[in-house]
Amino acid sequence: MVSKKRLGWSLLLTLPLLVGVNIAWARPAELPQTMHIMEGFLPLGWAIFWWVVATPFWIVGFLRVKKILTERPEQRLLLGLAGGFVFVLSALKIPSVTGSSSHPTGTGLGTILFGPFVVGILGTIALIFQALLVAHGGISTLGANAMSMAIGGPLVAYGVWLLLRGKVPTYVNVFATAFVADLATYVITTTQLALAFPDPVSGFIGSWLTFAAIFAVTQIPLAVAEGILTVLIFNALQTSATTEMRALGLQEV
Amino acid sequence: MHIIDCYAYSNKIRAVDPAQKAGLAVTVLLLCLLLNRPLVSLLAVVWMWGLAVWQAGLPPLVFGRVLLAELFFLLLATVAVALSVSTIAPTNPEAWLLQIGPLWLSSTPAALYNAVNLVLRALGAASAMNFLALTTPLVDLVELMRRLRLSPILIDLMTVMYRFIFVLLDSLNRMVAAQESRLGYSSYRRGMASAGLLGSQLFIDTYRRSQRLQTALDARGYTGGDLRVLPTTYYTSRPLLAVSAVAILSLLALRLVL
Repeated sequence: MVSKKRLGWSLLLTLPLLVGVNIAWARPAELPQTMHIMEGFLPLGWAIFWWVVATPFWIVGFLRVKKILTERPEQRLLLGLAGGFVFVLSALKIPSVTGSSSHPTGTGLGTILFGPFVVGILGTIALIFQALLVAHGGISTLGANAMSMAIGGPLVAYGVWLLLRGKVPTYVNVFATAFVADLATYVITTTQLALAFPDPVSGFIGSWLTFAAIFAVTQIPLAVAEGILTVLIFNALQTSATTEMRALGLQEV
Repeated sequence: MHIIDCYAYSNKIRAVDPAQKAGLAVTVLLLCLLLNRPLVSLLAVVWMWGLAVWQAGLPPLVFGRVLLAELFFLLLATVAVALSVSTIAPTNPEAWLLQIGPLWLSSTPAALYNAVNLVLRALGAASAMNFLALTTPLVDLVELMRRLRLSPILIDLMTVMYRFIFVLLDSLNRMVAAQESRLGYSSYRRGMASAGLLGSQLFIDTYRRSQRLQTALDARGYTGGDLRVLPTTYYTSRPLLAVSAVAILSLLALRLVL
């Protein structure tokens, strides 16, 4: 009896894994695999709701950017290029154990380098560009995706970064920040999907667990891989880009 | 992403006013969401695909390939909508059941209908936006946002970002080629180290490029303020306008018939 039950469990657990891995293999290699809610996937009411929720964060981010540009007008190009950098980071391939490769979101590194509010604006523009240049995410779901990837993830990650600063070795903090940024994005997106599509039998909780289980297959390894990658990038930056790091106010790290 | 950008510049309705193309795409997108019927969404896919091929002269398969770019997300997310997982047996008499260990896997005709509707709605909405993406370069859309009075700061950020995405990608691809030719991705550990090096070098490249660009602007007497560029001239396409009206009316009519 027990072994049969075990078999059932392991089948249930491996099935999505197999499906997920096979689809990942079948996909063209240049496309990012980040967790954006697709265009038109959210019902109109929820799409509008997330736009409304994201708006105050966009306003704060915009005011922050405006302040930076009035105080230091020479940062206009740096900000634009930083946005390009955050976007291009998602084209980087991280080797992964399953044979397919995943792509970092770059939000953890972006938050450490440029701060959460600036990343909120740059990340949102990057999301618009992804919708229009690589057909990932969408305009109707922009509010929801911005809330999870450009706003929620970076804000939670920045909290971790400030909390751990000076208490643990920098590389541990960098890993934790990048890991938590991805994890927060994953949790927020799962919540958004579960709110919009509650399970008819087990309600919000059941639906949340189902979405969480399905996307965990790709998102948890991604969060770990991105954490390691961000530590490697940050270490390399500390040795070879000291001038630039000092200019961004990261000299004491 | 080069594919979409390439067709956006070279299609037959590239010079049509971006407001006209964006108006059509956004209207169809909103209709898919508002009307929320599988057949209406399906008709929207047919219309947008058809217009991309007939009006913009795109190869039919390109549109299909771009439309399926998000198949991965769509399939996984739809499974969760079609299937219910619970620890107690569902009471709905219409439900199909499967017990695995302590869990009940169930689905109902209503849940299946929802899942099909969801897939078609997402495809309909995505095909509307893909039509826009494949026929309108991002610079035209940024110009449209400028006309809609979006803050000049954001317009500048977008313009600079758009240009440098391609510059940096080019830089990235050359670095990847150099690393790969030196067996930089031969094992997991090595691949990770190479990717880390790549990310940091890309950052340094980004930073130095922004400094050089700043110097170039300073040399030309730039003292802050908005970066001004000349807009392209566009024209309004009457045939496209007529077909757009027919497409939108047919979507509304189909909803009324159903």
